[in-house]
Amino acid sequence: MASNTEGSSDWLYEARNITKKYGSFTALDSMNFHIAKNEVVGLLGDNGAGKSTLVKMISGINPPTSGDIFVNGKKTEIRTRSDSEAAGIETIYQDIALVDSMSITRNIFMGREITNRFGFMDHKKMEDVAIDILGSAVQISGIDDPRKEVGFLSGGQKQAVAIARAVHFKRNILLLDEPTSALSVRETEHLLKYVGDLKKQGTSSVLVTHNLYHAFMVCDRFVVMSHGTKVFEATKKDTTIEELTDHVIRT
Amino acid sequence: MSSGQSDHIRKAVAERNKRPLANKFMDWIRDNPEGGIFIMFIAAQAAAIIFGLLFPDQFRYLAPANITVVLKSIAPLGIMALGVGILMIAGEFDLSVGALYSFTAIVCATVSNNLLGDVGEAEASAVAPFIGMAVALGVGTLAGIVHAFVTLRFNIPSFITTLGAMLIWKGGTLLYHGARALRFKPTEPFATMFGGEVGVVHASMIWFLIFCVIFYYLLHHHKLGNHFYAVGGNRNAAVAIGIDPARTKYIAFAIAGFMATLSGIVAATRVGSIQPGGGLGMELQSIAACVIGGLALNGGRGSILGILFGTALVFTIQDVLLLLQAPAFYFEMFVGTMIVIAVIMNTAVRRAKA
Repeated sequence: MASNTEGSSDWLYEARNITKKYGSFTALDSMNFHIAKNEVVGLLGDNGAGKSTLVKMISGINPPTSGDIFVNGKKTEIRTRSDSEAAGIETIYQDIALVDSMSITRNIFMGREITNRFGFMDHKKMEDVAIDILGSAVQISGIDDPRKEVGFLSGGQKQAVAIARAVHFKRNILLLDEPTSALSVRETEHLLKYVGDLKKQGTSSVLVTHNLYHAFMVCDRFVVMSHGTKVFEATKKDTTIEELTDHVIRT
Repeated sequence: MSSGQSDHIRKAVAERNKRPLANKFMDWIRDNPEGGIFIMFIAAQAAAIIFGLLFPDQFRYLAPANITVVLKSIAPLGIMALGVGILMIAGEFDLSVGALYSFTAIVCATVSNNLLGDVGEAEASAVAPFIGMAVALGVGTLAGIVHAFVTLRFNIPSFITTLGAMLIWKGGTLLYHGARALRFKPTEPFATMFGGEVGVVHASMIWFLIFCVIFYYLLHHHKLGNHFYAVGGNRNAAVAIGIDPARTKYIAFAIAGFMATLSGIVAATRVGSIQPGGGLGMELQSIAACVIGGLALNGGRGSILGILFGTALVFTIQDVLLLLQAPAFYFEMFVGTMIVIAVIMNTAVRRAKA
């Protein structure tokens, strides 16, 4: 085992002995979790198992109460969204995190506007890039105007915009928290294939899902959580859908 | 395959850009809350002008005296509404701007008068009014920051913070100065810069338009403006994406305080004196102008053009009622009705588009 100040250099991200408490409630209990290079991790578990808490912790908006985090083997503090952005982590949140009253383009570049050195936005360039990335991650049905307000999109279209945004800004790690809940069958297929393509290009992903078949299609390794801890972990070749189902239901 | 989707969007965008100008304009009116206000403003103007032409003696809308008065009196409310509007877009209220308007104007006049900035002084100082203004703007901005601190630090609704602040500033004005009016006749060049005229256009109107342009670029073209919309529209999404909502709101509160002060000084310069209770009610009028201009009460939605049209429409109606020699309470009844109609219209527009 590596020392307390050094993580494995093969791992993009490692959380060691992570605990997260809300008052007296323990949402994560001495959890160990890592993401290796070139892999897709399936994070499974029933409702309330702590999956979303873990995702929010990795993405920096919900820092741990105690425990250590290592990025590329180096001990790192990730306590805000800017910390995780610096570590190359992007997240597609379950509740989507879009502003309904803003246009698609403005949502995509929210907080990361393309500006000149005085902070004034380059609308044309942002719209150009927005159109490019809207076509790349998911085949979104029916979006034809990047200036359209996000509030007027369907659930699936919103999710597609959130995915396009995360995919565009990701560098090392992409976290997907229930990304397919509002997508059609065709859009889901496309997204899962895209996650596989990203792996080949060197971006690892964490896929949080209730759908074990989706997870089994793209993931290399599975982590099953229950009551804030890891209860099962296996690589794809060492396990089956039946065994995973069993662990999710039983624990 | 993926580029096919992008090409499809590009084609649709190009298609829309090729529409005739008239169609683009009609779509803009249909799709934007300020479009409806623009139509109402034009309709009100057209009606007033037609009646002014038909009955030039009874309804003196087109009389030079009336036009001059309108162009003089619109600015203080407009300047205040700009600050209030930006804060509303960022998702917060400021009910204290009316009280702050009087308080800071008195600060400005007191400092200026003590430094011999009054035209009546034997050795009048030209810089004194500017020093008074700078001190007052500092006080106003600081007041905004204090409102932000209390609201954000204790996580309470800004409605409550600034309701309290309104009473505190109002009482503070009486404590500090008393209830009598204060003379403010500043020396040149201050008097011309803030109280002069270019043709029929009063200096205060020019300042209002200058700040409209500044805030237009800030709100619609600067990244800070984008953050105002993001924080006001969906605070959690803004946090998740790495925008600091506290910092954004501090700036918005500071702008509201600054603009309330500027509004008070501009009004004081025009009138030549300050009534300690002069700003009361203006906070609600400026919120009304913003709401009529299409800003959402819960934040995240609105534009500078909307604030401009909202203010202009409120003033057109006030002016028409004055010319008809209607009692003052008619104005309040009209503005009240318009607020409700404006919100009904905007909600309907939004529902029709969804």
